[in-house]
Amino acid sequence: MAADLEELTRMVEAALPGSEVAFFDETGTGDHLRAEVRAPQFDGLSRIDQHRLVKAAVRERFDDGAIHALTIKVLG
Amino acid sequence: MADPELTERVGELISQNPVLLFMKGTPSAPRCGFSMKTVQILDRMGVEYGAIDVLPALQPLREVTTELSDWETFPQLYVDGKLLGGADIVEEMAASGELATALGVEQPEEIAEEAAPESAQDLPAQSPPLKIEGS
Repeated sequence: MAADLEELTRMVEAALPGSEVAFFDETGTGDHLRAEVRAPQFDGLSRIDQHRLVKAAVRERFDDGAIHALTIKVLG
Repeated sequence: MADPELTERVGELISQNPVLLFMKGTPSAPRCGFSMKTVQILDRMGVEYGAIDVLPALQPLREVTTELSDWETFPQLYVDGKLLGGADIVEEMAASGELATALGVEQPEEIAEEAAPESAQDLPAQSPPLKIEGS
């Protein structure tokens, strides 16, 4: 099952109000994704904590297998 | 959930090794591209590090790191007892010099030179031309 990129975008935007989010399909298979995120909630956090916030927002889609791999790019 | 004995052993390993990499395969024979990339970066940094192949016990170790560090994917690089990140964070921190600082080493010159062409190669085929402005 391929992930729904628009749904993932909405999930991150809902978890991180005020964020700018874009998801990309890295392999064309819909399950190896890249997310580019800019969010006010990232201020002062370590990179790993920034990534944790994004992953937590879409955890359901990891758990149900829609996402196999997610590369996160935090935009400054 | 996670096996308490395994969790305790992993916690000990993390606290005993200043630089510890949980990876798929071994440094001489990585079995995943992300693990290979992380090994290459650590080798260029010239630091000694411990490496643990997670493949023989992937699921139990995943449960342990989820409990210890709220992180379930591998590789995972621990420095001074704390999870620094996986392959993409390590790569970004290597390029910016943050990794050298965390490891207490000088930033190797070749990292900055190699970072740009390498990341360009990683771009997917369908990606539009990279725009630098605004990023």
